[in-house]
Amino acid sequence: MIGGRPVVLAERPSPGYPRPYAFPPFTRTSLANGLSVIAVDLPGRPLVDASLVIPGGAAEEAAALAGATVLMARALTEGTERYDAVALVEATERLGASLHAEAGWDAVTISIDVPAERLAPALDLMVEVAARPTFPADEVLRLRDERLNDLLQARADPGRRAEEAFIRAVYAPTSPYHRPAAGTRESVARLTAEIARAELARRFDPARMTLIVGGDLTGIDVAALAAQRFGAWRAHPDVTPIGSTDAAPASIERRVQVIHRPGDVQTEIRIGHPGAARRIREFHAVSVMSAILGGLFNSRLNRKLREEKGYTYGAAAGFDLRRAAGPFSARAAVATAVTVPAVQETLLELERIRDGLVEADELAAARDYLVGVFPLRFETPGAVVGALVGQVVQGLPDDELLRYRSSIEAVTRELVLAAARTHVRPSEAAIVLVGDADGFLPALEAAQLGPITLERDDPADHADAADAADAADAATS
Amino acid sequence: MSVPAVRFTDERLANGLRLIIAEDHLAPVAAVNIWYAVGSKHEVPGKTGFAHLFEHVMFQGSAHVSKAEHIGIIQSVGGTMNGTTWLDRTNYFETVPSHQLELALWLEADRMGTLLDALSQENLDNQRDVVKNEKRWSYDNRPYGSWNERTLAGVFPSEHPYHHTAIGSMEDLDAASLEDVKAFFRTHYAPNNAVLSIVGDVDPTVVRGWVEQYFGGIPANPALPIDLGDLSLPLSLGGERREIVPDRVPLPRIYVAFRAPVYGDPRLDALDLAGQILAGGKGSRLHRRLVRDERLAQDVALFSLGLIGGASVTAGWVTARPGVDLGRLEALFWEELQRLATEPPSDDELARAKALTEADELESLQGVAERADRLSMYATLFDDPDLINRMLPRYLAVTPEAIRDACATVFREDNRFVLTYLPVDQAVDGEVAA
Repeated sequence: MIGGRPVVLAERPSPGYPRPYAFPPFTRTSLANGLSVIAVDLPGRPLVDASLVIPGGAAEEAAALAGATVLMARALTEGTERYDAVALVEATERLGASLHAEAGWDAVTISIDVPAERLAPALDLMVEVAARPTFPADEVLRLRDERLNDLLQARADPGRRAEEAFIRAVYAPTSPYHRPAAGTRESVARLTAEIARAELARRFDPARMTLIVGGDLTGIDVAALAAQRFGAWRAHPDVTPIGSTDAAPASIERRVQVIHRPGDVQTEIRIGHPGAARRIREFHAVSVMSAILGGLFNSRLNRKLREEKGYTYGAAAGFDLRRAAGPFSARAAVATAVTVPAVQETLLELERIRDGLVEADELAAARDYLVGVFPLRFETPGAVVGALVGQVVQGLPDDELLRYRSSIEAVTRELVLAAARTHVRPSEAAIVLVGDADGFLPALEAAQLGPITLERDDPADHADAADAADAADAATS
Repeated sequence: MSVPAVRFTDERLANGLRLIIAEDHLAPVAAVNIWYAVGSKHEVPGKTGFAHLFEHVMFQGSAHVSKAEHIGIIQSVGGTMNGTTWLDRTNYFETVPSHQLELALWLEADRMGTLLDALSQENLDNQRDVVKNEKRWSYDNRPYGSWNERTLAGVFPSEHPYHHTAIGSMEDLDAASLEDVKAFFRTHYAPNNAVLSIVGDVDPTVVRGWVEQYFGGIPANPALPIDLGDLSLPLSLGGERREIVPDRVPLPRIYVAFRAPVYGDPRLDALDLAGQILAGGKGSRLHRRLVRDERLAQDVALFSLGLIGGASVTAGWVTARPGVDLGRLEALFWEELQRLATEPPSDDELARAKALTEADELESLQGVAERADRLSMYATLFDDPDLINRMLPRYLAVTPEAIRDACATVFREDNRFVLTYLPVDQAVDGEVAA
């Protein structure tokens, strides 16, 4: 007490009345060539985001040419019929805009952020990049070499090394998810400008594309701007249909893969298996379950591994939801000495979420978080357009985001349990440990978590290490 | 294009707490952001990393909030939150649906007023372990992870408080005691050492009432501000310094760092634009020459870390492609810095750099959280929250000659610290003699 008055009031304030919120309404029109145009007006948001979605991502590639789609997307801004790469950057900068082309597993996206009054010239640049790229051979070669160097860097970084080892351990070699979206050392080395050009051609069908524009669109006729620029596009004769994706597991037996890196002071842990596709009926229950298990700060995993044990700066688990079943993973970087107990605690939590109903307050915390944070996620045009891009890429209905909050609110403890039993399967998990095995191998063997495969990274000889990985890969396939 | 002005009120409670409120009703959200004028520069020898460890303790509960409950409460109302520690300050922030603002204020007040009521050895030990794992993850177990530590040590003399990083050392973290936590809290975590900014869908009159109700009774610390003495430094290292580090990295990387004018000095504005011209994206000089044209480099960077105590740091790096002659790479990197130090940039080049700066400003100020952070920052560091509206005009007023002159002042051989990371095998081959 200070001067007879409490320093801070003990009584926790109760909330006021929430302002009603709905995901911003948008309009959808189609150009004569089938290109779909979504416009979402966000009054008071002068920075407009325009994104062109070209369906078909890295999952569509042949294994031998893995990385071709990512390389193609990067090469789109390396030169067009009107601009060389530097002139394109300069033209973009003069608009105060930023232009990006990128490829993921399921689509290629070309985006430009620009002040609303310069949307038209920004869309002109987008047209150049999407429809008139020249793929200069020499620049594509440079991008290819940069990716090969990046793979060297990735191998030296424990977190990236763990991701790479994890997907190899989780997916069968027949699955594209077995390899990084940007390709492997072997596949990237084969890539050329012609291959990049062909990757764009086989996707270039305006009837499959969607342009999404969000921001303060006062006085802007998005459909007309789009029709003038995109309306004459025709499908390329080489267009191929989008196939289904093989997401087969490498194994359904629990196994341990250790990447021994002498001198590491932490172990990067990844535990998981093929997870779920985005377009599943129980998506909302999976979201709530995943938040309880490893999404929230007070998730079961973070509470146990960080706040109780102090093993890690952060532990998490979640699903990478793609058109096919992307990985489910639990992950943490822990001090070497506690590697095995951290793995055991993680496995216990993966079992426990399947064993019984979550507590009512756990359900409430996760549900209330996902419902409450929804408006916070969509403060800016970039975030709104990004969410719509995701909706389009995943082939979800137009009211998906509008129904999100009520769908989350409808998730029950029983639905959480059912989602866990279907989608969290520790008995089928690959356990990947990247660290100094001298500090935990005896304990790991004693713990009998599954058959152990040991691979040693020699930082002094990267080429040999990569070859060894390739050999190991061949042996498992 | 114009960046909308941020209108705000700026006042102080009787206990010295500075309160800044900016209304914006576009989205039903509100941001709370507190800057405490305490950072790693206030740490005493043998206690490096303590300000940051303390920041973690701030999430371990207070009189009416249990361990980790602060975060649990904020997340369960659909909010986001965090805290960060830097050399000059520590900040704590929440963004919440606007009807939950009062709760966020109450949580911040409870820990500002009563943190020590909940302090325990067990929680301190737990967060010490967490922070040590943060250090391992962010620095010790990463390729090139020590550059930060080595750069500050190379640019600032050992007696200067910027000589060490905010993450500190493992030994010093081990040495932190409950008594240290208590003393640090009593000294620095007082309302007259804090700026509280609230931005978003709020009613200022109501907000003032809540802030008075929850924070008004927390006593000031009359011993503030702490005098750290004269931190000023000459704008020169007084001679080139070099360090070679054999590391488990596949590609060599050369870091170059300089002492630069303090944050707030107009020359640092010019250096920010120089960073844009030299290394800001694919159109920049270093990227075009070293990455695109000559193909010697995998990537380049150049930027300034603005600091108020004596000097800032301008730093950059270039990552070599395999097999590249590092002497040549460093020479070309240096040549580009020297070119900007001797010839002003072209009008078109500067116009593009300014257009990008303006777009970045527009982009970052879109969200309420960033606006709240900037208001707290400018009030804490410069006693001038209106800089949120005046920084962009300052950048737009920078002349080509001012850029050349700022570069000429800073990019000097006797003011550079060159830190080269070599793959261990190359180092073993004899490139590291000392």
